[in-house]
Amino acid sequence: MTHRIMLRALVTGAVVVALLPLPSFADELSGEALYGLACAACHNASAHVDHRVGPPLGGLYQRKAGSVEGYEYSAALEASTIRWTPAELTGWILDSEQRVPGSRMVYNNQLTIEEIQRLAAWLLDEPAS
Amino acid sequence: MHQLSRRRFIQSVAAMSSLAVTPARGKVSGRVVVVGAGLSGLNAALHLEHLGCEVAVLEARHRVGGRVYTLDHVAGHPEGGGNIFGGSYGRVLHTAQQLGVALRKPPRGLPSDFYVRGKVISASEWPDAPANQLPADWRELLPSRLQGRLQPSNPLLTTRNWLDPALNTADQNALDGMRALGFPDEAIRLIGANNSYGNRMADTSLLSLYRVRAEFSRLTGSQLSFTEAALGNQRLPEAMAAALKGQIRLSAPVRRITQDQSRVSIGLENGEMIDADALVMTAPLPALSKIEWAIPAERRRLIESVEYHKVLQAHLVVEAPYWEKRGQAGSWWTDGPLGRIFVRPIPGTARYNLTVWINGDDCDPLDAMPKADCQAEIVKQLYSLVPDAKGAVTIGDVVRWSTDPYAGGVWSLWRPGQAAQAHSALRAPLGRTYFAGEHTAISYRGMEGAMESGERAALEVARSLS
Repeated sequence: MTHRIMLRALVTGAVVVALLPLPSFADELSGEALYGLACAACHNASAHVDHRVGPPLGGLYQRKAGSVEGYEYSAALEASTIRWTPAELTGWILDSEQRVPGSRMVYNNQLTIEEIQRLAAWLLDEPAS
Repeated sequence: MHQLSRRRFIQSVAAMSSLAVTPARGKVSGRVVVVGAGLSGLNAALHLEHLGCEVAVLEARHRVGGRVYTLDHVAGHPEGGGNIFGGSYGRVLHTAQQLGVALRKPPRGLPSDFYVRGKVISASEWPDAPANQLPADWRELLPSRLQGRLQPSNPLLTTRNWLDPALNTADQNALDGMRALGFPDEAIRLIGANNSYGNRMADTSLLSLYRVRAEFSRLTGSQLSFTEAALGNQRLPEAMAAALKGQIRLSAPVRRITQDQSRVSIGLENGEMIDADALVMTAPLPALSKIEWAIPAERRRLIESVEYHKVLQAHLVVEAPYWEKRGQAGSWWTDGPLGRIFVRPIPGTARYNLTVWINGDDCDPLDAMPKADCQAEIVKQLYSLVPDAKGAVTIGDVVRWSTDPYAGGVWSLWRPGQAAQAHSALRAPLGRTYFAGEHTAISYRGMEGAMESGERAALEVARSLS
C-alpha cells in the first residue's frame, strides 16, 4: 500500500523524487555497490545485450524504455512511453510490476528510497559504451 | 553533447538536493559468518566478500548445496533436490555463466499414463474412462491439469501480492476455498493426491496455490526456456563455494548462538566458538528451531509453527524401456501411494532415470521405516503397478527430505492466512543476525528465491557494516 501511494506520487510528479532532500550518510552504500547487489545479476552496464535475462543499462539516461536493439522486451514495456529520468527510474525500481503491469522485471529486494535514488543516479550516469 | 547535458542535468539535480552523486566509496568491512552453504548462504557470502567483508561459511552437512543435491552416485546423476532452472532465474543463470557451470536443455521426460481408482488409463482414454468421476465440464482435463482451473480467479497481480494483509485475511484452506469456487469434490481429491504445496488439502493455503499458479504462468508465458546444469545442479553451489576466498567448513553444525551489541558468537557442536560482526543465518526453520538461542518467545513460536513440505523420492535406473511392450507412456500420475513416477532418458545412453515422487502425508509411513525397508516397499509397490519393470530397473537411492535434520522438508508451507505476518517476522534481523533462505524470499520460490534472499541479506549486512 505504501509502495502504491509512493509510486503514484512519483509518476504523477506530485513529488519530484530527484529533488527530495536526502540525509547524507558518511557510510552509505555507493550507487555502484548497490548496482552490484541489486542489478548486476540480470543486467550489464554496457550498451550490449549479453547472456543476462535483463537488457543492458549503459546509456540509460533519456533512453526510451524497451528500446535496446536485440533484446526481447515484454509488449507492455515496449508500448510504454517511459523515458529514463531520475524520477522514472526511481519509480520503476521501487515497483516495476505496478509501474508497467505485464512487464517482466521482478525485483522486490527492499532497497530504501534513498538507496534507490542513489542507485538510479549512478545508473543514469553510466555511459553507453 | 548528449553526454554533457545528461551529466549537467544530474549534477544540477544533485546540487539542488544536496544529493552527492557518490563515486564508489569506502568498502564495507567486518567479519561475517554465514551459516549454511546452500544457494542463499553462498550468494550472500559472495556478495559480502565482493564488498570487502571477511566471510566464513559453516555448513552442517559434509557437502555444499543444501537442498540442491545431485545424486552423483546414481547413473544419469538425477537431482534429489532443486531440479530445474526457470528461464527468468536471472541470479542462478548469471552465476552459472560467470563461474563456468555448463547448462543444458533438460532431456524431455516421457509422457504419463494415469492410475486412478485402481485403473490404468492412458491420457487419451481419460475423458471417457469409467474411473474418471469428474462432472461433464471437467472430464476433459487430465488430473495433472486440474489445478490450472484456479488461474481465472487468481487475485495475485504482482509477485509480492501474496504477502498482502487483506488477501491473507481472506485466505482459506484449499479444501474450503476450492469448494467455494465450485470445484467438484473429485477434482479436489485428485489435486490433493499430488499436491506439492501442502501436506494435506485441509491446511494448504489457497493463496499459496495461487502464488504457484501465477509463477507457473509467468515462467511458461515468457519466451525463456528451462535449463539445468549439464553435470548436475550441485555443480552450481560447488562453483560458488570454490569462488569464495573465505573458508567453508563442512560437517560443522551449529549448536548455539549468543550475541550482544558488539558481536555475535557461534558455538559449534564440537565446542568451538567463532566470533563475528554479523551472522547470516540460512538454516531452514526446522533446523533453526534446534539451535540453542535466546530468541524472543513469539518468534520461536512462529519458527516452530511453519510446516515444511514432505517429499520422498526413490531414484531408479531403467535398463530397458519396458513400457514399450504394452504401448504405455513411461511416466505415471497416480492417486495412490506412489504419487508420480517421472521417467526421462539419460542423454547419450539407452537408459533412463526413473523417479518415484511422493508428496505430503503419504510420505509418513515410508519416512517412519528404516531406509532399506522404505526402499523395498516402494519397489514392491512399483512392481505391483508396473510388473514389467521387474528385472528392467536397478535401484539408485532414496531421498527423504522430511527426516533430514538439516532440511526438515523441501520448502516452507505457509498455513492459510499466515504469510503476511509470519514471513516478514521471520526474516526480520535479530540483533546482529540476518536471515536468508527460500523461506524468506518474496518474488521467487525455490533456487532463485534462495539466491534472492541471500542478496537481500547481504544488503542488510552491508548496510550494518558500512
